[in-house]
Amino acid sequence: MANPPHMIAHRKSWNSWNTSNLDGGLRPSETAIEDVFIRKFMIGTWHALFVSEIIVKRQHNIIRIGGIIRRSISARKMYFLIGYTEELLSFWLQCPVKLELQTVQDKRDVIFKYI
Amino acid sequence: MNIQLLQCARMNYSSSRISHKTISISLIWRRMNCTVGSTTEEIVIPQKIPRGPTDILRALESTIVKDPTAAHYKFHDDPYLIPNSNLGKRSLSMAQEAGRKAAHWVRKENVDLFQHKEAEPFINMFAPPKVYKEDSIVSIDDLKECIEKVNVDDSILVYKLLKGKSVEIELEVMQSMLELLCFYNSQDSLPEEFIEERWFRQSAKGERQRKTWKDGAFAEEIFISIKEPNAEAYSAIIQGMGKYYQIDRATQLFEEAKQKGLTLNVNTYNTLIEAGNLLKENYDMRWSYIVQLLNEMNDKKLKPNLGTLNALLYCLSSMGSKVSKDYALKSLSEFRKFGIEPSLASWSFILQIYCKERGPTSTILFDIMNEIENKEHMIRDIRDVNFFVTAMNICRYHLNDVSLAKRVDKLLHYGNNYNLIGDSFRESLYYRHFFILSVNSEPIQEFMQNVYDKLVPHIYTPELSVIEEILKSIEISGAIEFLPKLWSDMIIFDLCRKESILNFVIDIMISNEPKNDPDLVEKFANIGADIYEKVMNQNEMKTNLITVTGDMLGNIMVLFLRNKSFDKAWDLFITLDKQQQKVLGVPRFESLSALIDACIEEKVPSKAILCLAYAADVGYENVDELAKELQSKLTLDETHLQKLSKIVGQHVIIETNE
Repeated sequence: MANPPHMIAHRKSWNSWNTSNLDGGLRPSETAIEDVFIRKFMIGTWHALFVSEIIVKRQHNIIRIGGIIRRSISARKMYFLIGYTEELLSFWLQCPVKLELQTVQDKRDVIFKYI
Repeated sequence: MNIQLLQCARMNYSSSRISHKTISISLIWRRMNCTVGSTTEEIVIPQKIPRGPTDILRALESTIVKDPTAAHYKFHDDPYLIPNSNLGKRSLSMAQEAGRKAAHWVRKENVDLFQHKEAEPFINMFAPPKVYKEDSIVSIDDLKECIEKVNVDDSILVYKLLKGKSVEIELEVMQSMLELLCFYNSQDSLPEEFIEERWFRQSAKGERQRKTWKDGAFAEEIFISIKEPNAEAYSAIIQGMGKYYQIDRATQLFEEAKQKGLTLNVNTYNTLIEAGNLLKENYDMRWSYIVQLLNEMNDKKLKPNLGTLNALLYCLSSMGSKVSKDYALKSLSEFRKFGIEPSLASWSFILQIYCKERGPTSTILFDIMNEIENKEHMIRDIRDVNFFVTAMNICRYHLNDVSLAKRVDKLLHYGNNYNLIGDSFRESLYYRHFFILSVNSEPIQEFMQNVYDKLVPHIYTPELSVIEEILKSIEISGAIEFLPKLWSDMIIFDLCRKESILNFVIDIMISNEPKNDPDLVEKFANIGADIYEKVMNQNEMKTNLITVTGDMLGNIMVLFLRNKSFDKAWDLFITLDKQQQKVLGVPRFESLSALIDACIEEKVPSKAILCLAYAADVGYENVDELAKELQSKLTLDETHLQKLSKIVGQHVIIETNE
């Protein structure tokens, strides 16, 4: 986040991982729109929980959504949201969707430097 | 590697079952002047091995062994999200499934929003289910689809709609509809995709045999509406009634079908054989009923199947007489002649027949294990999942043989056999037997290393009874070094809410004082502090509160004193003194005298006198001796002496003044 866009692939990585924009890639525009949808959905469903960017990775027909969340709700509620998100996004995007989350105690844990 | 290849090539060459490719390879090899030893075994390389679409995934999967230190893959790999206690495992996975159900609900409520087709080819599972209402326009194809998708309620509705429009429904569809309704007792069952609910449902507990068949439900309506029902229709309804224990009607229909001269199928006979247990009261009548049915099958030239064998053994397993053993073995060999191999369910029935609780000890499990060991088993009967629990149960109670239990456990982990464990209830029952058997028959060190550390907590979380057995074993062997670890596990598994277990832990620590190990002494004191905190800060609103006993607190005090933490012990004593209404009973005399000794060591006579006063108050008789000891070891001033004389009487003081 602290780096400008031209630093992508140098000092920071992508937020969306897919091969749509390579030569012969499939559904480039749809993929972009879907990724925006996924991010909005995640931010709305996991309200005020994400402390990192939401990473969307696509491999074959699987979409994996990664990110870091705060431990401000109980583990049980998190599992409810995991089940709900995975299932509803699968229905919407019509492919298997998996969440890959990590939790941190405090949102300051993911601040690496102050500018 | 090369030599093996060469042998293969050469074998092919000599056996003239060759393709041109193999010839050239073998020629190349021969030119390279390799010498090859002759082998007698003939190896045939197939031209092509047909592969399924998932074979490569299976091959990859087979390279991965289960890691017992990792949580089950259904849980998120994050310290905050990995559950430890049994309750946690259950509630987290059920929560996830609840979330999935919520998503299903959202989709069902907004069917019009989910009409897009993104995937290519389209996958029907992602589409919202078709909704049928009272006024929908339906066709025969809809009914067929509902039956195909096992939607019982929908198919009843569609059927009614079709009947309302007086559409002619062909016999074939009627038959499959009837079969569906009979199998599911005219109601929808839990959808297959909710695996967690199936896993945690306590099916094994609720297996009581009572009539659950819905009399006069839609299944019977359909059956009646079929004009001149054929043998298949009769078979379906009889099996349905048998499955849900409506035995009387089932036999009635069976007689009816026989009078009409219809030949029912084998599975119907199996159902009826199984019903023999409920139908006939004494063993002889049951057996003759079964034999009669078998003879009938013979007359009608029906070939029995595995279901017949298992139904037979099931009936025998509930007969207590000696003949049942005989009959069981005879039927096994008889069915072998037909080429019917017994399944795991059959073996679990055999175990039940042979290993009765009050009967003589039978070693038949050894023979069974020899038969089924080192094989991968598929589920062939729904009761196959009972085998491992039954076998482990026999190992524990009947044979008490840990090496056999290990063989059973090895079989369970062979190939994909773990799929046959059943559900969570059976799994925990299985491990409970295994743990208690191992802890009672193996040295505690070996048990902790080979069994406990490997399986706890991710594969199995021990219950209270298991922890109690482990504690007993620790007490007997005096292996107190395991106690701190076990205690921390108990806290994580939320198992220290029972008074008896807390007292047991304290007793073990008190009676096994760790000599020459200050580390362990400190750990014990910490455990004591844990317990002290736990019992003193209980939520008063809760039900089953732990009663705080003076004995318990006294023992904890001794633990503190052993760790040389006098202040902590003294604080505890003050609470003991102040909150006498909250604490039940008084500490043992030994605990108090230990505290007084410590006071003497610390040279705090006023505290020692306070303690003496307490001991005298509660009525211990040996207070005088303690007072003497106090006087002899510490020089007391006038006020102290006065106090002391009030407590123990003048005579003790005078003696020392002389």
